Amino acid sequence: MGRNLLRYKGSKTVMLSIGCLTLIQSAAIVMQAKWLAEVISALFAGELLNEQFTDIMLFLLAFLLRHGTALLQQRIAYRFAEKTGESMRKGLINQLFTLGPIFARQQGAGSLVTLVREGVLQFRTFLELFLPRMMGTAITPVLILIYIYMQDVWSGIILTVTMPILIIFMILIGLAARRQMERQRTSYQVLSNHFVDSLRGLETLKFLGQSRAHSETIGRVSDKYRSATMRTLRVAFLSSFALDFFTMLSVATVAVSLGLRLVEGNMVLVTALTVLILAPEYFLPVRMVGADYHATLNGKEAGEAIQSIIDQPSVDMEPSDHVPRPFWTKDSTLQLSHIHLQREEDGTMSLDDVSIQLHGIQKVGIIGESGAGKSSLIDVLAGFFHPTSGTIKVDGIEVSSLANEWWQEQVTYIPQHPYIFGGSLADNVRFYAPEASMGDVKEAVHRAGLSDLAEKLPNGYDEIIGNGGRQLSGGQEQRVALARAFLCRRPIILLDEPTAHLDIETETELKETMLSLFEDKLVLLATHRLHWMTDMDYIIVMDQGKVAESGTHEDLLARKGAYYKMIHSGLGGA
Amino acid sequence: MRQEGWIRPYFRTYVRRFLVIIALGILTVCCACLLMFTSGYLISKSALRPENILMVYVPIVLVRTFGISRAALHYVERLASHDMVLRILSQMRIRLYHLLEPQALFISSRFRTGDMLSMLSEDIEYLQNVYLRTVFPSIVALVISGLVIAGLDSFDVSFALLMALYLFVLVCILPAVSLWLTKKRTKQLKHKRNRLYTKLTDSILGMSDWMISGRASQFIRTYETDEQAAMDVERSMHRWASLRSFIAQCVVGVIVVSIVYWAGHQYADRHIESVMIAAFVLIVFPLMDAFVPMSEAIERIPHYQDSLNRLRTMDDAARQETIEDAYTEQIKDRSNIHIHLENVSYAYSDAAEPVLEDISLDIPQGKKIMIIGRSGAGKSTLLKCIQGAIPPSKGKVTMNGIDTHALVIQIPQIISVLNQKPHLFDTTVSNNIRLGKRSASDDEIRRAAEQVRLERLIATLPEGYKTPMHEAGQRFSGGERQRVALARILLQDTPVVILDEPTVGLDPRTEHELLATIIQTLAGKSLIWVTHHLAFAEHMDEIIFLEKGRIVMQGSHLELMKREPRYRRLYELDHPNFITG
Repeated sequence: MGRNLLRYKGSKTVMLSIGCLTLIQSAAIVMQAKWLAEVISALFAGELLNEQFTDIMLFLLAFLLRHGTALLQQRIAYRFAEKTGESMRKGLINQLFTLGPIFARQQGAGSLVTLVREGVLQFRTFLELFLPRMMGTAITPVLILIYIYMQDVWSGIILTVTMPILIIFMILIGLAARRQMERQRTSYQVLSNHFVDSLRGLETLKFLGQSRAHSETIGRVSDKYRSATMRTLRVAFLSSFALDFFTMLSVATVAVSLGLRLVEGNMVLVTALTVLILAPEYFLPVRMVGADYHATLNGKEAGEAIQSIIDQPSVDMEPSDHVPRPFWTKDSTLQLSHIHLQREEDGTMSLDDVSIQLHGIQKVGIIGESGAGKSSLIDVLAGFFHPTSGTIKVDGIEVSSLANEWWQEQVTYIPQHPYIFGGSLADNVRFYAPEASMGDVKEAVHRAGLSDLAEKLPNGYDEIIGNGGRQLSGGQEQRVALARAFLCRRPIILLDEPTAHLDIETETELKETMLSLFEDKLVLLATHRLHWMTDMDYIIVMDQGKVAESGTHEDLLARKGAYYKMIHSGLGGA
Repeated sequence: MRQEGWIRPYFRTYVRRFLVIIALGILTVCCACLLMFTSGYLISKSALRPENILMVYVPIVLVRTFGISRAALHYVERLASHDMVLRILSQMRIRLYHLLEPQALFISSRFRTGDMLSMLSEDIEYLQNVYLRTVFPSIVALVISGLVIAGLDSFDVSFALLMALYLFVLVCILPAVSLWLTKKRTKQLKHKRNRLYTKLTDSILGMSDWMISGRASQFIRTYETDEQAAMDVERSMHRWASLRSFIAQCVVGVIVVSIVYWAGHQYADRHIESVMIAAFVLIVFPLMDAFVPMSEAIERIPHYQDSLNRLRTMDDAARQETIEDAYTEQIKDRSNIHIHLENVSYAYSDAAEPVLEDISLDIPQGKKIMIIGRSGAGKSTLLKCIQGAIPPSKGKVTMNGIDTHALVIQIPQIISVLNQKPHLFDTTVSNNIRLGKRSASDDEIRRAAEQVRLERLIATLPEGYKTPMHEAGQRFSGGERQRVALARILLQDTPVVILDEPTVGLDPRTEHELLATIIQTLAGKSLIWVTHHLAFAEHMDEIIFLEKGRIVMQGSHLELMKREPRYRRLYELDHPNFITG
């Protein structure tokens, strides 16, 4: 692991300095043992305490040096992890905004937020632990071992032999634990999710009359969960048991072998003590790696997940300077030719050879069943998606996509559920035009039909709505979006099923407001509510990613094609 | 005192296990110490070159025993503590469930902010750390320090006092200072992190607005500024943590030196044998491993606070609940249910504006009524009154003459509900359907699935009816999920069915097909259907328009078409072929 580590900025310097500190630290560990052993054996030999003052102080110095370098290592690693985590997070957030809302929806907002917040923290923990641990295992045991060989070959051999055994056992047990986890992974997941699943379904259980009896099930499943967890832990803890066991056994063996040779007189006390003090230190770095294994593993995986998003191919926003910036007027034209859109590799075509031409001020209805490609078309027009192939021309000038600032600055996009930010009503309305005056905001609110609500709210325009504030109904949310559109006066409006979830009366009222907003603009309205179509200048009927037919309401009725069938199937209402 | 309600009682429940775990923890430390002690002793003794190897035989055996026992004891201790904590977890879950169950129908309206339920579930899991990371290690450290001081006391009182002072620094002062220093910062950090979390969620859910408004880069800038502020706090906490462990090590260093001096003096005064010097000095290192983590254990205390607070709120909320068990009326013949609402009004409090006002309805067995109205018109309150979940402020809601609020326990046998998002549980498909009737045979389940037209879909699943829902769920569209819930309702087989906007979010064709299945399979049952538009209005016996808690239009489809121009206009919107003729 950690092959990517060198990619991060400043990693070489950090590795070098941590490496040097580890060297100093290892030397301090050896010296600390040596001086302590000398003091003890001197006292043992009956020397006076006062004569030992220098050695004792030297010991204390080495001891403090050892922990002081640890402190420095921690801080250096922390700062490196902090910096790298920061740049990783910046990259991730920038990339999320480049990939756009469609990607965010596919991944799930919750998991992305977790990745940015928790994922980066875990990755930082990984970096913070990994470098010192790596250096620690690479340098410290080797140095200690060399010193021990210099003092006593037999102890050196015992320690040398134990290390691979210890590591092999650790790996074997780790693998066994993982196999066991894999084996019961699905049933384990069901068990561990059972409680939160029950809480989420509590209302349903209540309706079914099962909610009371269910508490027994919770107890039973929790017990099963416990025994399943314990089964796994029994194996998982074995690996640290093996670490402990072999360390302790090895230290004990060294002690006994030293003792026997002391008895035989082939050894002096000071050497024996030094080796005995050093023996646990020799294993310490490996044991620390074992203890931090899971934290580093999670962090490493989080880092990989983040990197895979950052590495996703994305076409950058075209820099505004290099493209012409036609502003949409009544004479403008937009031409899409042979547009294909494939959202996922190997997936079906969401748009299949779509060619349309739009110009000036026009109200265009896009109609079709769900999955017909209505939303995909709107997404391409909003610049959320780069078409897989095809050409787009604005005023006759070819552009590779509409993911351009100059284009998006002219567009208002209203989805089925407009997002209400946690903030005041005024700030929400002002979202697209943060500089707008309060007078303009009030005017927009009035035109969107929200004045009544604004007056009724206890804090008026300063009432906090959205997340953490007052919840608005679906109709009110839609009106906030309309107020935003009224305020920013952009010439193009894209709407994706704006009324599908509203009750019929609210929809009727909203329709009047919307039609007044649509005046003098290019409007594209994707909906399956057919009653809108009589108000549209032009209708595009989508079917399975293709344009099935297009024309005015009257034309299409006269043609008696897909549109005619749709109107007379009796499905239009729903 | 209430705060301890979620932590303390479990010590009493598992007092034996608790004592065993603490004992194991102490023994683990003792073995580690004794390993070094006997090793030191063994080497020193050997250095005296005893005549007979048997003189060091006992220490040799002991060294090995202690080495192996330490590893084994530690292993057992970890298992035992996890086992106890999982037992506690199970108890806490049941307790939380009992708190939430009575308010099941109100949870979604009461706790709007975020996903309260999964938060509570996580809180409980998080509280495991109280035991594993704070309580167990602290108690072990305290007991060991007591033992050390008591042990030294028998040798030398003044040195025991000195050691007591050192240990007091390690076990009490340093943790206390650490807690005092980090408490405020922990809180700050938590607050800052929560804000970042909300901000980020806001930005990802509202990403299209940020992008189109051209304010994305502005957002990223302000977000980074906030992140920096959080990072500053984190850094200062980390700096303290590393400094704290250095301070602790300094104390350890001083302790080692003191022991050396003391042992030297003791030997010089011939209070101890020479072989004990090494033994006493070497014991210090493993011993200190028990004390140094104490600060971290104590520092964690503020982390538990939020979880405990949330659980406490649940305790309070549950205390306000009325006790359902007082209502034990029963309807014997459930085949014929006559629901009757007489001048029903409902207000949340005496001062508040009524949510429902003067509603009268008559629903004999088999009648199908449609309730339509915008959000906030009182539809869901009306449903809760009919279900007996809330008693009306004025008027009466009865079933066969009995007050529904008194029937509330029997209600699931009388009324079933298909709502907007029926929960499909993470178990097999057939178990999900079986929830309607626990005793249902496989045949009954298959018949129900056939009726709701799911049999073909289920046949394509890898394990058919036994496919786990989390696998099948991905293949189930919104309409199909509703069909699973409908199959459940068919098995529940109640005389009355409430449909609470079951087709919101479905596309027209799916909606049409689902409604056709619903109307067909639920023939003969009373239907109370809350909806937001007029598709299938022709199939209903009565249509009611609610506005601000009152009924403003009431009648059958044909009557309303004839009588109400407003109704006609709305119906035409839903059926554009009327416009074109």
